[in-house]
Amino acid sequence: MNLFKNLTNGLFKENPIFFQLLGMCPTLAVTTSAINGMGMGLASTAVLVCSNAVISLLRKVVPSKIRIPIFIVVIATFVTIVGMTMEAYMSTLFNALGLFIPLIVVNCLILARAESYASKNGVVGSLFDGIGMGIGFTWALIVLGAVRELFGTGSVFGIDILGASFEPALIMILPPGAFLALGILLAINNVIKSKSA
Amino acid sequence: MREILKLGGILLLICAVAALALAFTNELTRDQIDYQRNLASEKARKNILPDAESFEAMDEDRLNEIVEGNNRVAEIYVGYKGDSIIGYTIKSLSPGYGGTLEVMTGIDIDGKIRGVRIGNHQETPGLGANVALPFFYNQYENKSVDTDLEVTKTDATEDNQIQAISGATITSDAVTSGVNIASNTFKKIMDK
Repeated sequence: MNLFKNLTNGLFKENPIFFQLLGMCPTLAVTTSAINGMGMGLASTAVLVCSNAVISLLRKVVPSKIRIPIFIVVIATFVTIVGMTMEAYMSTLFNALGLFIPLIVVNCLILARAESYASKNGVVGSLFDGIGMGIGFTWALIVLGAVRELFGTGSVFGIDILGASFEPALIMILPPGAFLALGILLAINNVIKSKSA
Repeated sequence: MREILKLGGILLLICAVAALALAFTNELTRDQIDYQRNLASEKARKNILPDAESFEAMDEDRLNEIVEGNNRVAEIYVGYKGDSIIGYTIKSLSPGYGGTLEVMTGIDIDGKIRGVRIGNHQETPGLGANVALPFFYNQYENKSVDTDLEVTKTDATEDNQIQAISGATITSDAVTSGVNIASNTFKKIMDK
């Protein structure tokens, strides 16, 4: 029951993007299309799950004075591994995400989960926490990417939806569109939250 | 003192394990990454010299002889069909509005430009960056290397004219001078 709660925590109640507003830099930068959002989300999830597990395993041997450098080393190692694997086997996606793959290292979501959850809880709980938060991050990025792609190009996941007569609002796939889309989604989210409370 | 040693030791141990894991991943993915990178540049060369079946980097001595210290020529590839040379792809560097532009030009053995592509650049999105779109770079196709190309702000009337993107004359100039560098390099290759 507890594990299930770990999982759903990240998905909805404490969704990294819509509730904690963590990891905004990659969120705003890479969500020009749904597929980019999904790639970034899944890459971050892989790093988050692995680093949560390892940090949880190490929690008894890591002295608290040097915990931050150790967390960073663990996270950076997994980011590099994920980056190399992506470049080798998913090079199109790797090129589209470019600089933002190595920048997963400084995604505050991952360090935040290491510090506030994995370093205080067992391996299984941390794994589920990582999966929940990661998937929560991923679906939020996909939604954001899909909204921007829909209004910016008229399609979602490259599939034409609004038809040829639709005049694309280019601004949605340019940087300001990220702020517009995120702002509107957060507003909708707040309305839902205040209604259910 | 003892505590510092202990902390340092733990940190060292963890870093060593991390380095080991990275070395291992590198060993596993290195060949595949090289293959992907070669594939990408091979495809780019194929785009600007479609008739060629294979490409080979020009050997260094010959490259130095042709380039003669001109640091705006970045690389030259020889395009082959079967055993015969059918053209060259030349990457030139040209100062644009936001930094250096990479211009790739494919020229066939008859001195005709077969294709132009823009590589890395930092031009303004929506303006100068549009030189990387087909409507602009297709203008260079089938131009001759005999006369230098020039940019015009109105409709191109002469054969050696390229119509600038309005609001992005500097970038249009930069690409054109990159292509001219390639043309002149090509002439040197044919002379020597």
